[in-house]
Amino acid sequence: MDPSGVFSVSYRQDRKLVRTKWQALFLLGFMALLYLAPFYASPRIVAIGNIMLISAVVAVGLQICTGYAGQINLGQAAFMGVGAYTAGLLAQKYQMSFLLTIPLSGLSAAAFGFLFGLTAARIKGFYLALTTIAAQFIFHFAVLNLPSSWMGGSNGVTVPAATLFGLKISSTNGLFYLNLVFATIMIAGAFGIVRSRFGRAFVAVRDDDVAAGIMGINVARTKATAFLIGAFYAGVGGALWAYMIRFVGVDQFTLFNSIFFIAMIIVGGMGSITGALIGVFIIRMIQEVIATVGPNIAEAVPFLGGDIVFASMNMFLGGVIAMFMILEPRGLMHRWNIIKSSYRIWPFPY
Amino acid sequence: MLELNNVEATYSDVILALKGVSITVEQGQCVALLGANGAGKSTTLKSISGTIHSEDGAVTGGSVTLDGQPITNMETSEVVRCGLIHVMEGRRVLRHMTVEQNLVVGGHMVRNGNEMQKRLEHVYSLMPRLKDLSERTAGFLSGGEQQLLLIGRAVMAAPKLIIIDEPSLGLAPLMIKDVFDVLQRLKDEGTTFLLVEQNSAAAFGIADYAYVMENGRIVLDGPADKMAQNEDVKEFYLGITSEGDRKSYRDVKHYRRRKRWLG
Repeated sequence: MDPSGVFSVSYRQDRKLVRTKWQALFLLGFMALLYLAPFYASPRIVAIGNIMLISAVVAVGLQICTGYAGQINLGQAAFMGVGAYTAGLLAQKYQMSFLLTIPLSGLSAAAFGFLFGLTAARIKGFYLALTTIAAQFIFHFAVLNLPSSWMGGSNGVTVPAATLFGLKISSTNGLFYLNLVFATIMIAGAFGIVRSRFGRAFVAVRDDDVAAGIMGINVARTKATAFLIGAFYAGVGGALWAYMIRFVGVDQFTLFNSIFFIAMIIVGGMGSITGALIGVFIIRMIQEVIATVGPNIAEAVPFLGGDIVFASMNMFLGGVIAMFMILEPRGLMHRWNIIKSSYRIWPFPY
Repeated sequence: MLELNNVEATYSDVILALKGVSITVEQGQCVALLGANGAGKSTTLKSISGTIHSEDGAVTGGSVTLDGQPITNMETSEVVRCGLIHVMEGRRVLRHMTVEQNLVVGGHMVRNGNEMQKRLEHVYSLMPRLKDLSERTAGFLSGGEQQLLLIGRAVMAAPKLIIIDEPSLGLAPLMIKDVFDVLQRLKDEGTTFLLVEQNSAAAFGIADYAYVMENGRIVLDGPADKMAQNEDVKEFYLGITSEGDRKSYRDVKHYRRRKRWLG
């Protein structure tokens, strides 16, 4: 952020992602901390980091589709599932390298997502939400009802470990680096997309699709592209998930998961890649705290019974999301932007 | 340059809004389209730009051509690619974007950064006020500033023809003057306009030719200076009687209604 009184004086300057030395230093420091995490953090923290990185890839894709382009998508977990199954099947049946299976998983999910993007050209809002829920059901129906020799049916698919130059990437730390490298590429790509003419077209379509049309933006194609990109991200996330869990089952990609991804971008702030990352961090942290505290409570208060404690924990998570919607409906990034603006015009109040 | 030949337009397949409209706009001209509310002016513009499809409408008869190329019922984005930009009424700025981002989206078809910068500078030279507001969120601009932004956004596409709907709607007189000054400068640069306007005095100040619409039809047309002297136009659209008095709106309205019924 530039200090008060300093403005961009050219289009190129305005497009810059990192504007000040401090921003560059902070980014470098943050990346160094992330890449060195396995050296100073406990295996449990690294394992949580793995889940966060994969969720970040999926949530960033959803942010592009829903937060930037305004296309409601309640099928992100299904798109992730398509990617996970693609990676699992290609690795298991054809022994393909993860360097091939991960992009191919993204492409197969993108193709599936594109079909729903085509419907978005004609419908919007509530109707589109219902259509994307159909993605969940089509995915579940296909996996469970097609011959089990194709996708494993209810038994799922066992995924071999990713290997690079003959080395297996199966340890928590190894997977962390695999996830981190892909997450870095995908998130950097997302920043590039939203700053490009495609990103601006997404926002224009979200804000006013008729006005976008009269500026030369092909609205139908833009909506379909948003779905395609969002699903590509979900597919890559799904493939990373498959290599981490080493097993793909249909119940890992439910409507409930899709709603959690929506919650992540709402908590972080719609229309911001950084917001999506913050949302992932907060929701996953709460989930992990609940998973850690829940058994302790169940043990300490045995008369309550485990079921009641775990149900209460999920209610607590729902309550936290509801509180965010009430108190900070535009997400944490909106609050951060207000803080930045206040700093920029300080000492004046407005 | 732009030719509408006997155009008919319907909404929802049943409401006939245009009943054989024929309009010609020559290169470099500013053509005004006048008429009362509901006459079909905005529908004419939407039929040209293709935005009529977003309201469940379509051109069901006649033809629209731009530089000889048929654009009847073409997708809006394709019409823009042909060099025609529609500035819609209702100040449809992209509310969450800054002024500069709005302008950059206006130049969506420009892929070269240098060309984008050149066009931005051109817009800022035409409307220095936008330069001062470049980092302001568009949704927080005043009505007049939003109207200027919409014109700037249209200019970013470097169109051959701008069709503009009610640019003075809801603006203070001084702001109307600013908006029409910008349109005049653009006209002097050679931009062609089709202008829909209720403020007939302002429209005649810039237009070369004018059409008058009623009930989905063109009822009168001619060079703007002659039209401004036409007794009916003076009475109905400028509110001036043959004696030179200003008539009250109530009288004009009553007389028009009677004349329409008798006609």
